[in-house]
Amino acid sequence: MRFEALRAALPRLLTTLAPHQAAAVRIGVAGTWGAYLLREWPNRRLLYGDRSPWSAELNDRLLAETHAFTALSWSDGRGWFEAVYLLALVSAAALALGWRTRASAVVFALTVLSLQNRNVLVGDGGDNLVHLLAIYLVFTRCGAVWSLDARRRARRPAPDPDAWSEPRALADALAAMLHNCAMLVIAVQVVLVYATAGWYKVQGARWQDGTAVHYPLHLASFTPWPGLSALLGGSLLVTFLLSYGTVLAQVGFPFALASRRLKNVLLVLMGAEHLAIAVVLGLPFFSMAMLSADAVFWPTGALVAVERALTGRRRKSR
Amino acid sequence: MRVWSKPARAVLTFAGAGLGAGTLAFLAALFLHVAPENALSREYRVELNAVVYPEFEQNWQLFAPDPLQREVTVFARVQTIADDGRITTRDWRSLTAGDLAAIRHDPAPSHLDQNLLRRAWDFYATTHPDGDGPSAGGSRGRLAEEYLKRIALQRIGFGGERVLQVQLRADTRAVAPPAWSDEQVDTSPHARELPWWPVQDEDRRGLS
Repeated sequence: MRFEALRAALPRLLTTLAPHQAAAVRIGVAGTWGAYLLREWPNRRLLYGDRSPWSAELNDRLLAETHAFTALSWSDGRGWFEAVYLLALVSAAALALGWRTRASAVVFALTVLSLQNRNVLVGDGGDNLVHLLAIYLVFTRCGAVWSLDARRRARRPAPDPDAWSEPRALADALAAMLHNCAMLVIAVQVVLVYATAGWYKVQGARWQDGTAVHYPLHLASFTPWPGLSALLGGSLLVTFLLSYGTVLAQVGFPFALASRRLKNVLLVLMGAEHLAIAVVLGLPFFSMAMLSADAVFWPTGALVAVERALTGRRRKSR
Repeated sequence: MRVWSKPARAVLTFAGAGLGAGTLAFLAALFLHVAPENALSREYRVELNAVVYPEFEQNWQLFAPDPLQREVTVFARVQTIADDGRITTRDWRSLTAGDLAAIRHDPAPSHLDQNLLRRAWDFYATTHPDGDGPSAGGSRGRLAEEYLKRIALQRIGFGGERVLQVQLRADTRAVAPPAWSDEQVDTSPHARELPWWPVQDEDRRGLS
């Protein structure tokens, strides 16, 4: 009986699962990296280019050990650097809009790797996450919905998939299987992020004594608004609840996936925490990357409701 | 629903098994990489590293096991030589101060101010656990030294005279525990002074 149910579920694996979640991750990751590139436009040469104290020569010596990919090692010239940076910006925009999505995703991933591996010593956890998701997205069909590609397909009525020749249908099923595997990888990756962050915190004396949140709120590099940080970190109860709440949510996240409702509650709580981190600790791009990754677990109903709210408003404004 | 031919079913089964096994193996490698060092990850160290490095590295311990609790301020000073051969040792200048001023009241601080110097110092500290001598650090350590030297040269001016040497110093100060804690923590700065490093023309390439 159970075997029969499994057999019946198998054909679903040949279809593109979770297209809305894939699109949300795509828009989030490409939007995050694109906004970051715009923010760093004035500093781009100091971070990744010809004026960086991490010179091309130093990086070449590191690459000889790590073998990481960067197209920027092909030439030290400023023109090549500017071209790659511009291509990174353009591919981020194209991917966010879902224009020629698969090709855009490939170029996006290559430019993310090229810039980040030109100087791995300026990134944080957010950059690490963008790096991984950019690679995973290449293998997904993240342009199936909410993309210029999808709009173009909708305008040009295609033949019914059941009428496809078998080779055509086979290619489609293989691409769908690849997509599903990549979506599983993204989901497990997000679980690993939270689980490791949580399980290592459990062992930390500061998280155990409930004062951990106090410390980043008093580091000058992470307090763009000292008054706000002092306000938040000034209360014993708030500091304790935030410290313990963070650990509980992160440690519990993998298990919460067994319950739809609990998972959604945790997603909202952790989303709120990341919004707070964005403002209070001055880490907006880190937080945007985390929120984009979370999107793989957002319920389809909520994603479609957001779509309706946005498109409904757009129609009214016309 | 489509009815697949026998060869098509064979292709699908084969591809499905391959993709499934590959995905699970990849995820298992990621898991073992982030898990504490264990018997299994020691046994398959080489294979795991081949999967994870260089592009699938995972570093999710930013605030764990404990958050950063020390404020590090990096200083540099230079020794310059004038045209008449007079050698001057200049005053210490904070390299960190400019970063912090830039971060203040910026809703989206730049990686240039938030990460560059901080992580360069971390890189140096982790590659030099046992001291600052000329042979300390290995090949990675040498990279960290040259990187710090170039950061210092880029950030401090020296009145047009030729720079002979540069020296760095880091003051580390513990963040005081919360007001309600009765913990006693020494919050006075502890200085780590690195040796003078000679400066060649090529050290300054591309910096201006």
